[in-house]
Amino acid sequence: MGTDRTDKPASPLAARTAAVAVLSLAVAVVLGDSGVVTLALPEILRDFGSAVGEVAWVLIAFNLVLALVAVPAARVCVRGDPAAVTAGGVIGFAAATTVCAAAPSLGVLIAARAAQAAGGALVIVGSLELLVAGTGVERAGVRRWAAAGVAGAALGPVIGGLLTSAFSWRAIFVVQIPVVLLALPVALALRGRVAPRQANLDTSPDRPHVLANLALALLSAALTAALFLLVLLLVDGWDRSPALAAVTVTAVPVAALAAGRVFRGVRAGTRSEAVAGSVLIAGGLTGLALLPGAKLAWTLAPQVLIGLGLGLSVDSLTAAALRDRIPRAVHGGWTIAARHAGVVVGLAILTPIFTADLHHAETPAKEAIASLVLDAPLPASTKLDLAEQLGRRLVAEHGRVPDLRPAFRNLRVPPTQAPAAAALERGLEDQLTRAATRAFRTAFLVAAGLALLALLPALALRDRSLS
Amino acid sequence: MRRLALPLIAVLLVVAVLGVQLAAGGGHYVPLRPANPCTPRPVPPIPAQLEPMAEQIVLLGLDGAACRLGISRERLVLALAETRSLDPRESAALKAGLVDAVDRLNREGRLPKVSQLLPQALDQANLPGIVKTIIGAIPNGVIDNLLPTAPLLRQTVNELDVDRLLRQLDNPNQLDSALQSAILQAALRQILDRLHP
Repeated sequence: MGTDRTDKPASPLAARTAAVAVLSLAVAVVLGDSGVVTLALPEILRDFGSAVGEVAWVLIAFNLVLALVAVPAARVCVRGDPAAVTAGGVIGFAAATTVCAAAPSLGVLIAARAAQAAGGALVIVGSLELLVAGTGVERAGVRRWAAAGVAGAALGPVIGGLLTSAFSWRAIFVVQIPVVLLALPVALALRGRVAPRQANLDTSPDRPHVLANLALALLSAALTAALFLLVLLLVDGWDRSPALAAVTVTAVPVAALAAGRVFRGVRAGTRSEAVAGSVLIAGGLTGLALLPGAKLAWTLAPQVLIGLGLGLSVDSLTAAALRDRIPRAVHGGWTIAARHAGVVVGLAILTPIFTADLHHAETPAKEAIASLVLDAPLPASTKLDLAEQLGRRLVAEHGRVPDLRPAFRNLRVPPTQAPAAAALERGLEDQLTRAATRAFRTAFLVAAGLALLALLPALALRDRSLS
Repeated sequence: MRRLALPLIAVLLVVAVLGVQLAAGGGHYVPLRPANPCTPRPVPPIPAQLEPMAEQIVLLGLDGAACRLGISRERLVLALAETRSLDPRESAALKAGLVDAVDRLNREGRLPKVSQLLPQALDQANLPGIVKTIIGAIPNGVIDNLLPTAPLLRQTVNELDVDRLLRQLDNPNQLDSALQSAILQAALRQILDRLHP
């Protein structure tokens, strides 16, 4: 069990507050990288002219390496000086991020993303120790570390989407470099002032908290769906701009940040928070599977449920996984490994499901289009002309949600038929949106199932109040 | 009780959101499902012109053919548009469907008389002016007596080369011309049958 739940403050209050803020920001940036490129993937795809499956590795490589490296990085941190480990991680992360920003090919970008994750792992586990030292109280430090991770993971896709829309996908990486480098002087200043964990431990290390980590992995897999699938639905399915999609999905981080203030006063305990969080995430994902229309407003309430669930469960489970366990950095590493393994598993499970469903959605979409065209109050010759042009659009954009507007732009109809043609165009767009929305349903429901599975380990947790 | 409060609040929130979504049609936001082709479809008013009448017969005929083939009208149309050819079973189903469509419109008194269609047909026909004048001078009663619409259309359908028509779908002018030629031939055969029973 832990021997030192309280670390002595290493510096005056103002400096400590600034150090905690900068380190929290670094943790948020690194963990935000998990999904930061989600909205940039279509642009990366175009820039490098690669296949969808290859571009997905820009996302997968980071999460996979972070999952694999987090625990070994934590062991390095335990054996050495956490401040030095953090500083080394910051330098490695910044260097790899620079390569990402300037990557001349997809292969280089993927390799640099893997290196980013390796450096990022050192930053995350090292920062855990530094935050505990900086706040002076183990529980507060762990809570701050977990909350920074939640905020980063939730805000990553939003910020990535906005930067891609405003500049380019490379801007995502350019912006990160100075932000994360802010942590370098802080870490260097703390060198030698935070005692290595192993020095005061004669007992063998605690075993990882399997239940909390398992719940974290399952919820992370489900949350991947919330962010990854939702932005894909908004951009590819509903033809919204990446910027608008990014703004829309801010509902998740806003609700996640509000969850602490809204619910923490109940002081219900770890198990209750984890159970409630799982229920909220599963409910929100089910809500996304059962959208009644393609208006952005319909996604807000399910997103709020997911955000509240995220805010309630992830930092609570992280705190449970770390509480009274030593070495702290290693257990922090386990939570990171569990979360990012969950992301990779979530992508591995859900990507083939929604890809196959999008493919299967083609037939009902084409039938709905054929039905509307056949029954449209337009002359047969106009319908034949339109059918020919629509057919060309469908063939040209095989495998993606087609843009039918060019078919109508090329259509010559007399003014008396223009309202009927416009109504038909609206009807066809509606059918495509319906088909795309329907295609995401199974993936969202499977993700909801993953969140419900997290109830099993959550219910088995010991219920200890965190207040 | 405090331990149950949060999960209970979570369940209530989820029920409220899902309840609103389902009440707004959340489970049914899906693409239009093709209608059962075996269920008769309502027919809108048909102007006494060749193209709207032909279109209505084709639409109803597609329903009849799809019903015979056990697929939706839309699936049949997409298959025809893709392959641009018909196997003998599809060809027979299509012709039978078109004949059924003519019979239904005839039963419902929706088919215009030939005399109503004639002026437009003559305008578009590639006939010498003198022939058009002579045909135009024939009284409507005689024309309608000599050429009742339903038998004329049935004859037209039976003589149609539907495979050829499918290949001409891309070119509405060729399609019109082929249809007019089929109707003209059917009309001639009908007249000859009347004259030499």
